[in-house]
Amino acid sequence: MSEQKQTSRGGRGIQCVVVTPETTVFDTTASFVSLPLDDGQRGVGLGHAPFIGRLGVGEVRVAARQSGGQTSRFFVEGGFVEVAHDTVTVITQRAVAADSIDAQEARRELERVQSAKAVGPQAIEERLKASEAARSMVRVAGRSR
Amino acid sequence: MAQARALDRRRKSVRNIRKITRTMELIATARFKKAMDRSVAARDYTKHLAKILENIASVGADVAHPLLEIRPTTRTAVLVLTGNRGLCGGYNGNVVRQSLALLGQWRSEQVATHVSVSGKRGISALKFRDISIDESYTIFEDKPEFAQVAPIGQAYLAAYAAGEIDRLDVAYTRFDGIARQEAVTEMLLPLAPPQAAGETAAKLASDEYDFYPSAGSILQELLPASFMARLFKCFLDAAVSEQVARMVAMKAATENAGGLIKSLSRQYNRARQSQITGEIMEILGGVEALKQ
Repeated sequence: MSEQKQTSRGGRGIQCVVVTPETTVFDTTASFVSLPLDDGQRGVGLGHAPFIGRLGVGEVRVAARQSGGQTSRFFVEGGFVEVAHDTVTVITQRAVAADSIDAQEARRELERVQSAKAVGPQAIEERLKASEAARSMVRVAGRSR
Repeated sequence: MAQARALDRRRKSVRNIRKITRTMELIATARFKKAMDRSVAARDYTKHLAKILENIASVGADVAHPLLEIRPTTRTAVLVLTGNRGLCGGYNGNVVRQSLALLGQWRSEQVATHVSVSGKRGISALKFRDISIDESYTIFEDKPEFAQVAPIGQAYLAAYAAGEIDRLDVAYTRFDGIARQEAVTEMLLPLAPPQAAGETAAKLASDEYDFYPSAGSILQELLPASFMARLFKCFLDAAVSEQVARMVAMKAATENAGGLIKSLSRQYNRARQSQITGEIMEILGGVEALKQ
């Protein structure tokens, strides 16, 4: 494990990058990153073992390296994460900064999804997915206030 | 005087045209820069996706996926990406020609084809050739957004999964650099299977990634995502190429107008001079006549 650590980056911070198909949304050095994996939240600190994970719907939380620095939050909808050599790369189709989410809009979306009718196993699954996404968005929006 | 005046009038109108083409060139340049920035910004996503794909392929995960299997083509889809506007040289014509070649091939093989066209130019060009268009989009200008492309991609994925199409080709203008754009047709579905890159394999092996929840499950999500990224790149490339084509065409038009003005000016000056000479001759003739 020790030989895998890169001395150039190790001990300094985690390079955290969030990319979407359109652009690189976010690129900073962090001390800790919390990721919404498919099956639950997972924290990544310094020197974490390399892994590739599938993201679910939820909040990416990036704690700034400097003490007193801002913690950045993003709402992501699926995607992947690659962790290696103290670099966290979040690859997602959609990433929204938590403080730019309109909480009321998110709540309306949740109501709309929940009131929609779904017939057949595929549609039901899709609705479940959508309502989970909407609920998660409301949660993230609520937390940032 | 009549000829000189007509020449002058023509010169004025050519000047106005030159003003317009020059402005259009400037606009195209500005738009090109913006489109180019977007295209560059989008590269990171594709790069990271490809890296993960390589990683998964190199651990030898089971890479069987419906999107990868090559089926006999009985029903196919073609997506043609053109511009909404003309005045951009051969940009639209080249893409339409590419798509016609492909459509002709499918027709000769009697393969049912679902045709989608983006851009007014392509729509009218295909209509003119009596090709029925199943779907058309005119929302894409110089800044295609992922949110706009995503539903189109989802529809193709769903159709492919349901067996409604066995293949998807996209006719668009690939952007290989500012000096080189080429109208091409590319097969997007089925996807090319991921390959473990040889040179990076040694480096990857030392990384020994863990996969959560599993390599196979990541692949399930990764392949649609990489298809979407490729489709989006086609739209971005088409947008950038259109602006480059318009820039080049308008630059040429401005230069031609300049040349035309020069030759018209020369003709005008000559006509005016010969007119003056003629008038002097007349006056001199009159003076001579009075002397006698």
